[in-house]
This record gives sequence, C-alpha cells and structure tokens, in this order.
Amino acid sequence: MAARKIVPQTTSPSGTKITLNPKMARRSFLKIAAATTALTGLALSGRLTKRAEAKTPKSPYSQSKIVRTICTYCSVGCGIYAEVENGVWVRQEIAQDHPVSRGGHCCKGAGAIDMVRSEKRLRSPMKRENGRWKRISWEQALDEICSKLLEIREKYGPDAVHWNGSAKVSTEMAYLQRKLAAFWGTNNIDHQARI
Amino acid sequence: MTNHFNDIRHAKLVFFIGSNAAEAHPVAMQHILYAKEVNNAPIIVVDPRFTKLAAKATDYVRIRPGTDTAFLMGLINQLIQNEWYDKEFVRTRVAGFEELKEVAAHYTPEVVEDITGVPAKEVVRIAKLMATHRPGTVVWCMGLTQHHIGSSNTRAACILQLMLGNMGVSGGGTNIFRGHDNVQGATDMCVLSHSLPGYYGLSEKAWRHWCEVWGVDYEWMKSRFHSKEYMEKPGFTLARWYEGVIQEDKIYQYTPIKAVVFWGCSSTSQSQYHKLKKALDKLELVVIIDPFPTTTAAMCEKDNVYLLPSTSQYETEGSVTSSCRQAQWRYKVVDPIYDSKTDYEILQEFVKRFGFADKFFKNIKKIPEDVTREIARGTLTIGLVGWLPERIKKHTDNWHTFDIDTLQAKGGPCDGEYYGLPWPCWTEEHPGTPILYDISKPVAKGGLPFRARFGTEYTYPSGRKENLLAAEGVANPGSEIMGGYPEFKGWKTDVRVIKEAVKRGMAPFGNARARCYCWNFPDPVPVHREPLHSPRPDLIKKYPTYPDKPNHYRVYTRFKSEQKPELVKEFPLVLITGRVVEHMGGGDETRSNKYLAELMPEVYAEINPRVANNYGLREGDMIWVESPEGGRIRVKVKITDRVDDRTIFIPYSFGGMFMGRSMAANYPDGLVPYAIGEPANIVVNYGYDIKTQIQATKEGLCRIRKA
Amino acid sequence: MARMKFICDTERCVACHGCVVACKEGHHIPVGINRRRVIIINEGKPGERSISISCMHCSDPPCMAVCPAGAIYQRDDGIVLVNKDICIGCGYCLMACPFGAPQFPKNSSFGARGVMDKCTFCAGGPAPTFSEKEKRLYGQNRIAEGKVPLCAGMCATKALLAGDADVISKIYAERVARRGNGLKEKIF
Repeated sequence: MAARKIVPQTTSPSGTKITLNPKMARRSFLKIAAATTALTGLALSGRLTKRAEAKTPKSPYSQSKIVRTICTYCSVGCGIYAEVENGVWVRQEIAQDHPVSRGGHCCKGAGAIDMVRSEKRLRSPMKRENGRWKRISWEQALDEICSKLLEIREKYGPDAVHWNGSAKVSTEMAYLQRKLAAFWGTNNIDHQARI
Repeated sequence: MTNHFNDIRHAKLVFFIGSNAAEAHPVAMQHILYAKEVNNAPIIVVDPRFTKLAAKATDYVRIRPGTDTAFLMGLINQLIQNEWYDKEFVRTRVAGFEELKEVAAHYTPEVVEDITGVPAKEVVRIAKLMATHRPGTVVWCMGLTQHHIGSSNTRAACILQLMLGNMGVSGGGTNIFRGHDNVQGATDMCVLSHSLPGYYGLSEKAWRHWCEVWGVDYEWMKSRFHSKEYMEKPGFTLARWYEGVIQEDKIYQYTPIKAVVFWGCSSTSQSQYHKLKKALDKLELVVIIDPFPTTTAAMCEKDNVYLLPSTSQYETEGSVTSSCRQAQWRYKVVDPIYDSKTDYEILQEFVKRFGFADKFFKNIKKIPEDVTREIARGTLTIGLVGWLPERIKKHTDNWHTFDIDTLQAKGGPCDGEYYGLPWPCWTEEHPGTPILYDISKPVAKGGLPFRARFGTEYTYPSGRKENLLAAEGVANPGSEIMGGYPEFKGWKTDVRVIKEAVKRGMAPFGNARARCYCWNFPDPVPVHREPLHSPRPDLIKKYPTYPDKPNHYRVYTRFKSEQKPELVKEFPLVLITGRVVEHMGGGDETRSNKYLAELMPEVYAEINPRVANNYGLREGDMIWVESPEGGRIRVKVKITDRVDDRTIFIPYSFGGMFMGRSMAANYPDGLVPYAIGEPANIVVNYGYDIKTQIQATKEGLCRIRKA
Repeated sequence: MARMKFICDTERCVACHGCVVACKEGHHIPVGINRRRVIIINEGKPGERSISISCMHCSDPPCMAVCPAGAIYQRDDGIVLVNKDICIGCGYCLMACPFGAPQFPKNSSFGARGVMDKCTFCAGGPAPTFSEKEKRLYGQNRIAEGKVPLCAGMCATKALLAGDADVISKIYAERVARRGNGLKEKIF
C-alpha cells in the first residue's frame, strides 16, 4: 500500500507549509495519547512547537486567550476551556486538567459553545399582541412588566405574584432572586430543586 | 452529596437506586467505572428500567415503581436480623435503632418480594453483598425522590448507610447526584417557598437575621408582606403554583395568583401540565426571562405574555455549586450577544422600578463579588463564611493543582485546601469539608460529626429514653470534648461563635447521633405506602397512603381521597418518566442545539415487546398515552426490553406539542426549537410528597391506544 | 514508526455521544454528516454494550485501495485523509469500508457537492495548515497544533483513546490487566 502514498508538494503557493508534507507529519510521531492525564493539550503543544519551524503559526487563533469556565448543564461541574479571540468564543478546548471532569464531557457539554452560537436564542424583548409576537424595546418591556406587577400587588396583594427562580443561574443570582421575593413581600418563590 | 464524585474512586461497592448516572451524569461515570475496574466494586443498580447505567452494572435489580422504601427496609432488616450491621457505629453514632428494628422486622424477604417484585433470595443476596463490601456508597436521584413517599425513600437510604457504618468515610456516604448545574447553589440560597437563604426557615428569628445582614429594618420588611402570618407561611411551590390560579384544589391564600414570572425555569418539567396550561391562559401576566423563548412562551395563547432575553451563563459570571458542595467561579467568556441582558442587569431594572433599590443594594456595589460577600456574611448554617470571591476564583484558576483522588491541593496557592472549598467552609482559612460527618479529621481540617439539631435527649412513644449526643470517645481529633456535645449557642447568627468552636476543635452545630426515628416526619421510621394510583389494589388496604393534607404549601393536597383501587382496571400500565443524555430539564436549551436535536429528535414511549404485541403495536407506530386526569399525549412507540411488561417509559424533556396539537406556530418567528414533542408531564399523574410536595413522576398509571 | 489509532473501551463507553458532538461542534459538521457515531448493541438487555465508531485509520485502508481517483491517502503516521479537491464522490470507499465511515453530504454546505467526508483524526487535510480552506473543507487541524483529537479528549469516561498505537494500546492493556484485581495504583 505504501506505493499509493502521495508525495505532495512541499509548500503551497503562498509558501505556507502544509500538513501533508512528510516532514511536517513528523510532528505527529510524538506520542499523543488523549487519555493520559499526564499529557495535557498544553504540554503537548509546548513540546511540539519547539520542533515546528518558525514561520508556521502555532495555532489558527494566534491572538486567542483561554478562559476557564464551567459547563452549564448538570451538577458534575465539568471544566471548560473557552478559547476567545477578539471577543468571540472561537473554540471549545479540552480542560484535561480539571480535577473532576478531566476534560470529559457528555454530548451536551461537548457542545457548550452552542449556547452562544445557537440561532434559536431570543434576540430582543417581545410581547404578544393580538396573538402575534412583537419586538419591543427593553425600556418598554421593563416599564410595562413592572407597572403591571405593581398594579397587581396594589390590587390583590403581594402574594398574587408567583416567582419561579432558577437552578441555572449563579449562586449570587439565585440569592438575589430569593431576596427579591422577600423585598416584594411574598414567599411565593420556588425553583427546580423542588421537583 | 456527603462525599464527592472523585471519592467514589475509593468505594468498594456502588449502589444506585433511582439514578441513571450514565445518562444524567456521564462524566461522573469515569470515577464510578474506576471503582468497578480497580476495586472490583460491585455496581448494583435498582431501577424499574434497565437503563444505560444498568448496562454497566454487575447486579441489576428490577423493582416495581414506588416500592423503594420497602426494598430498602428489606435490606435494613436483613442487615439487622443477620447481625451484618456495623454494631460499633450504631452504638456510638446512631439514635432510634430499637424503633427502627421493630419497624424493619415487618419487611421480611417474602414481604419485600410481594411488594417490590424483587425475589426474596435477591434481597438477602444484595444485603449480604453490601455488608461484605465496605465502604460502599449509595447514590440516588429523582428516581428515589419523585414519589408521594419520596422523603421516606431518601431517609430509608440514609438509614441503610448508617447500618452499614458507611457514613463519614471515604468511599461511603449518601451521594445524591443533583440535576442542574447550580441546583445545589440555588438550593443553598433557598430559592424555595419555605425558607430564607441558608435553610434558616421563615420564622421571625430567621427574618430578623437576614434583615440584619441586608441592613434593613425588620418592621419595614414586615410591612412589605400582607401580614406577619404570610411572612412566616410557606408559599406555593413550583410543583403546584398553578393551583393558585385555577383553584381546582382549594387554596389557602387571601388572593389567587394573577401573575407568574419564569426566570430561568421551564414549565414543562411540572407534572399535570395540562392543568398548568389552563393557568397560563388564565393569568393576567406571564413574564419569561430566558436565553431561549421556551415552551412556556409557545403555550401562552393570550396577550398576557412578555419575553425578556437574558444571557446564557457564559456571558455573565458568578459562582456555581456543584453536586458535591464545591464552588467554582464560572468566568464570563464573551459579552452578551444580541440584545440580551444579564440576569443581574434585569434584576437591577426590576428593583429600580419597584422602588427599593437603595435598600436592596445597600451592601452591594460590585456585582457579583459583593453579593458573594453578603452571602458569606449571612449563611452561617452551612458554613459559607469562607466562600469569599477571591478564594473561589483562586481555586478555579488553579484547578490543575488538586489531586484527583482526594481533591486536595498538593502545593501551590491552594495547598492543603479541598477543591471548591466544599461547605461547610467555616472560616476564611478553612480548607472545606470534602466528606461530611467524617470524624477522622479535625474540624479545622475538614472533619465533621453529625449535627445536634434535635436536642440532647428524646423519649420515644414506647417510653424509652435516649441520649441523642454521640457516645463517649467519639469526636474529631483535637476536640475539647471527646464525646457528644450540643450545638454552640448562637452559632447560626454569630460568626464569632463559629470561630470559637472551630478553634476549640469542635463543630459549631454539636456532635450528635444520626436519627433513624424522625419524630417530625409523618412516618418517624420510613414505611411503605402504595402509590396513590397503584397497580396493586390488593396492597392499598395494607399499605394505605396518608390522609389528605390541607394547607400544604397553601393548597389542599389529596392523598387518601385520591387513592382509588379500581383505577388500575381502566389504566393498566405504570408510567415512569426520565432523562435522556441528549436533553436536560424542559429541554429548551438542548432542543435548540441542532446536534443534540439530531441525536434525539423526538419523544417516544418505551414499550415492552409483550405489551406491543398484545396491543398490536409495531416499532414507530403512534399511540395515545392517557392519564386518569384527562391528560393525553401522542407519541411514537419504541419497542424495547428496557421496561417490563407492566411499565412504559417516556423521556420528559420535550415540549412544543400539546395533546396532539403542534404549538410551533406559537413561537416567535424562526425560534421554534430543532426538536419539539409532547411533554411527558401532561400524562404524569397527580401525586406529591407529603413533606416536600415534590411531584410523583415515577409512579402512576396510564393507558395506551393506537393513534 | 508511530501509528495513530483509536481504541474504544466498550467497558467504559456509556453511549453519552459526547464524542459525536465534540466532533461536530469542533469541525462545524452539518447535520446529517456523522464522522463519528455511537453504536449500541443488545439495547435494554444484559450484555448491552456501546462503542464509538469512526474512521479507524486502518493500517491497510481498503478505501484507499479502491478509490479510483486516488483521492484517499495515508500520512506517514497512519492518519488516512481524503483530498476533497480530487474526490469524485463515487462512493466506492463506503462499500469498501468495514465501519461505514465515509459520509456523503447531500448538499454543498460542507465541501463540494457529493464529495466524501470522514474523520480526519483532527489532522485537517491537504489544504495549507490553518488556512480558511482547510478549516472549511476538513475542520480543525489539531494535530498540527500538537493537540489531541476532540472526541477522545472530551470522552466522558476515557473510553475512547486516541493517539500513538503503542501508547494507547499500553494504556488499554494495563487497564484490562488490572481490571478486577483490586490494585491500588492509579490507572486511567
């Protein structure tokens, strides 16, 4: 089968080295084993870039930085390395040194980046008018909602409003939700932990 | 969780009851499978359904839905009868053993077989397996809790671990794998209708404590409420708030509910969903604050609804508490996309318009860090004193320095501390408590005895008196008192008391025995009670449910009057619901992800081949599933041996269809999720836990017919 | 000489599909194309097992042998790649492949119409390294960055191993050898 191996051009027209180059392929001879915690992605890249030639970029995202964050799905709390360039989350990297998840993700967490990529995200405040959704400004939405809530509070009392808070926000935000209900004057507040 | 995910690596046995970790917590499985491979630990899975987790088990026990307490009590009885229990542990750290023994004696292997369907021999074998493989851990999830006797189920599981002496040891513990990413944090903050943050409850003392933390006058706070009575009365719950609107069960509040705010909360995860839908149509105002429009928006058909786009959690920051009580700082990745605002911003706008911004943000200048500090100042009960934003960030920044077996940092800036400072983290210097109730370590180094919460002595109905404090000689190393001691006076409200206690080597909350007999529960020792809608009418008489409960979180909750033995004739199949790995909760996020929707595009009912043949159903046929309450859903048939021939299973994370009707046109343009389907909760039966009002989604009856 | 391989430990795989989505998100693969799939056998019965399958980067790739256009080639490290500029989309490779790895897009959203797509071991393709063209046609080139493939790196239970055959087979062999022996050393 070796006869079928293609010997490609060594440089592209722009002079950039291409992966197919057998010399370049030498880099991947280095032992790469995804499952060894001893070898993190970062450690690998450090060892490999030493051998890379100077004009080859180390990464497609030369200006990027890594932000440590936590998956927003389940309570295992898997670590995520978010690679960010120019304010854009360009790539989800593997947090292989996280002590609990060690880089692991289920299908949801592996696609965590989709939370900011999904085309199904709500784009602006909306209200339903004559059975149709209408875009409105934040000012209008907040003014209308809050005055209606205050009107209901005035007319029926503070317990006429029920607040469903969240297990999907930060601890600080959850705390503020509970505090808000207290200041509003009701114990009609609950969240997913109940069920 | 009393221990942590990584600690399961030390377990010699892992016992799952009502958990499908392979689908709900796949990443935790790496530690569980490590225990299986390296420790040769038996993996016992008790579940009505042969789940993906069961596929990884060494021992699978199929149990009839809603009979967990009977099974667990059967195991406990075996441990006691055969003297396989940890006598020293029981002698020194457990209370109510005699009372337990008496109740447990009823659950002989034969009785357990009759109730649960588990062969008597298996009960004995599993008990022996557990007794001979210690320390073992017990794991459960909503499969155990979502029952009308959910609180009995969980207590029976705890008692089982007490009998085995598996508490407070590495590799042991009761490890409840929780659901959402921050459900532990939100629970600790008590976004709950029966308590203020930190589990302080709603008493005047609790309110005074938090008013002091917030820097507001108690009298002003009281004036915000309808009355002092309502200030101290638990509110409606997520499970049953809609009754406050539709009032099909009597409510105990001076006004019906007129407005509801869903702030990062799905509606499809609530049972009796067709009733909830009625409420949505009746409310004057529905506010949905979420990154996605959510099924709730599509279910609202009146002009009473607003959508506010909040950011995802990657566009804001704050701490999150994982299932094992550890805090991690979730750093902001990018600025808010589209015209969305962070939850903090939205809340600030609300507070400003409600006119109490100055009082609300009195101690808070910088969000979220000052909020974290306020939480640390107020939440003494679970020891969040040491959870300062700088410390939490330091841990996240240095997560690579923590040992995978112990989660303790070896050197580096967090040297000696446990990852995420698992609470209780009593002081600013405390390393966190990785394993609860572990008396092998000093309190200042992460050790802890059982809490002395219920006094020092109790007289049981039989007249027996028992000292509730731990036995002589049982205490953490370095404790001033080497034996049981009561809680320190004022520890819940005065941080100086906590510091003093820790300095003296003692736990601020005392050193007591764990109770097997909880006199503040309807069943002091857990006993089996047949599900409200039981497929075994013959057992209802022997194991009836509770009397009805009026004013149960402001609503009348039916128990006895709902338990109808004849129901099974018309509704012969047991219905259970659960997770699939691809979707989560109400599924609004995951069904908006094209790849996840591709993997799991539609809702289905798992049906045993025998049932399928009896009903003349083929793979892919559509059926109607109908509940006794008039809910019905149209779903696809999936023929599988995962369920037995009396049970069907439906995943619950779907929405966007309603009793055969597509609600797709009701979403804002272009925002229909990639996958929609009938919410299983339309057909989940009526039924709620007596103590917590959690909905009973894992028991109940249904019938099917070809659509 | 080092050869890049995948091993999927079926005792560890829990069919969470993390590898599938890691691959799709990482390389922007369109819906309908599956460079990696999880297969479950004996579903719902004792003996249920799952395995994550993609191109296995065979030592002697049958796809390469049958490709009439000479579009499939193997790097010195054993990674089998396709040159989408040469591929004519005939589908012979799919017939030859024992794993069903070659994928054929029905539209032009990924690569040219009908051209074969498959797992690249996260090694990009014959276009210039890190170029827009490489990213568009083949996805990330993580090997050139010295990074591990996404699927294995993100495997929830470390069931899927990727890397030098000598290294990962040693890991797997150690795992199997110690399985059930109650040894205390750390293994992964």
